[in-house]
Amino acid sequence: MPLKWVFNWQPNAGSTVNSQILNEVSQCVESINGVKEGRWKATLTYYKPMLRDQALAAEFPRDFLGISLPEQPNKYYFILRGHKIVLEADSSIQLIMEKLQSYKSRVALNFEGFQYQLGDFQLRVGKVVPTHSENLRGIVMEQVEYLPISSLEKSRQLMEEFVDIWQDAVSKRSLPGHFLHIEPNFSDYGLADHYTSQHTAVQYAHVMAQLIASVQAGQAARN
Amino acid sequence: MLQQHQHHLQSAATAAPPLPPPATSTPPSSTAGEAPPKQVALAMDRLGHAARLIADIRLGADRLLEALFVAAQPHQSSKPLHLFRQEDDSMRQHLQDLRTIGRQLEESGVLNESLRSRSNSWGLHMPLVCPDGAVVAYAWKRQLAGQAGASAVDRTRLALKAFTDQKRRFFPHLDDEQNGQGTDSVSKKHRSSQALLEDNQDNLSDCKTLSDVLTSLEKDMPNLKVLTYERLDWLKRASSLPASANDNTMEVPKHNFHSSSILRPGPQNVVSMDKVAVIELLFPSVFRAVVSLHPAGSTDPDSVAFFSPDEGGSYIHARGSSVYHVYRHITEHAAVALQYFLGIRSETALHSLLHWICSYRSLFTDICSKCGRLLAMEKQSALLLPPVHHPYRTFSPSKASSTQAIASTGDQSCSAPRAYHIGCFSDEA
Repeated sequence: MPLKWVFNWQPNAGSTVNSQILNEVSQCVESINGVKEGRWKATLTYYKPMLRDQALAAEFPRDFLGISLPEQPNKYYFILRGHKIVLEADSSIQLIMEKLQSYKSRVALNFEGFQYQLGDFQLRVGKVVPTHSENLRGIVMEQVEYLPISSLEKSRQLMEEFVDIWQDAVSKRSLPGHFLHIEPNFSDYGLADHYTSQHTAVQYAHVMAQLIASVQAGQAARN
Repeated sequence: MLQQHQHHLQSAATAAPPLPPPATSTPPSSTAGEAPPKQVALAMDRLGHAARLIADIRLGADRLLEALFVAAQPHQSSKPLHLFRQEDDSMRQHLQDLRTIGRQLEESGVLNESLRSRSNSWGLHMPLVCPDGAVVAYAWKRQLAGQAGASAVDRTRLALKAFTDQKRRFFPHLDDEQNGQGTDSVSKKHRSSQALLEDNQDNLSDCKTLSDVLTSLEKDMPNLKVLTYERLDWLKRASSLPASANDNTMEVPKHNFHSSSILRPGPQNVVSMDKVAVIELLFPSVFRAVVSLHPAGSTDPDSVAFFSPDEGGSYIHARGSSVYHVYRHITEHAAVALQYFLGIRSETALHSLLHWICSYRSLFTDICSKCGRLLAMEKQSALLLPPVHHPYRTFSPSKASSTQAIASTGDQSCSAPRAYHIGCFSDEA
């Protein structure tokens, strides 16, 4: 399947993220001839174990994530980041989890925004919002997809050049921050060079970790 | 009275077939303004009219005789007389019309040879009415017949070629000729490429058969997977492609151009070389190219198309179009390159084409030889594309596969094929 690079927005020290940045970024995409195609939405859920004795919670994995992706409506992805495990399951597993009541949702986030087409490239720009809140948590993320091929290695140079062109366009707007892409080590998760939705799920998990880290760093700086 | 009428009738009847006495042959000044074909058409028209009038006159004569016969019966009313008078009138009219037509025909030179001696600017002669009544449209008809004959020769030649092709395809056991001799294609030798051709002579001289071409290709390109198919088998393969593309552990045997279409374990059918109509070139994760041969088993490529290695479906064939812009642009460029290779030297066109296709194996990593970048915005479509144009005029299969250092322009290493963005490509390259 086509390969993707997922980015998160890294605000400059001391600045916050707002919807204005999202608008600017969208305009940026249109300035490099991106054509708005439609909306996209993904969800990410942090689970916590339901235990009678909550003190035992520390023994259980902390980052147990569930992700649903728009390109795979019938699938649900589980990730244990600490253990480098990713699993692709049928979306009906969520029903089973509800019945089992062993894990419950701690925090649920929506990634949503617009999708743009630039020839063989597809760009998604969006914000991250908690499910039951309208407040913008203040995180903007973005995803670049190159449709024709699936090999991470073969496409690396091409994607890097694209990102250069993209970053160039963004920097012209003098926004207080920049997009950051750190490629997770896919082989740790047992994933191959041929790109799949499991790769996407892993990237999302890592992006979340970075976002949380940067938010915590920001809070620490303010304190 | 009857006798008088009878006599009248006789003279009228006998007067019918031979036309009225010829008038003086006046030069057809009235028709000088019209073009010969029109004159001829008019003349034919009038002759037709005359024939109809003659038929009417014959009928009229019959009716007159009938009326006379009835009148000869006893106890008749004035009916036959009435009929007779009626018929008499119409007969006179017909004869009058006939005289008029006759005069017109004479004037246009149909009934005599007054125009024959005049050299008509179109080389056409007026139709001639022979004494026995036959009409010969002579030169005009012969002209038309001549034209029809010329195109008939062409049509026959085409039909023969088509028949020979079909025969070779469906009845190969009847065909004694070698593959290379059958084609009619004219090989135009470009002076600029002469040196190049002589360079390749040794390499290409032993690549005469399809099998040779494919073997040499596999030897030169270790990463390439070459597969061959009969034409209908390719359709099955194309439709099953998405299933096989996702299978990362797919193992394809080394000498796979001998194996059959659908990839399944177990005994595989050997595609005999003389039935091969489709060649698939797969560089995993880069592209899949489909080349069609016509006729099957020959070394004559007739079309080529590029696709993503992940694409699948019945639209994947040598005349199909990828859903992705990059492969669509390469396919367009490849069509031009194919025509070039066929025009230069049709016997080695397949060999050159396949090697040229292989120059795209590093499509997503080769930077443009002109601007030095990988991606560039193509002006017309406003899309970012890698370099999709590879030059074909100066392309040499032996250079492409050799590892010796050959002097080339620029500071690129000799083993990297030259590639250009659409906007950076110029015809001299």
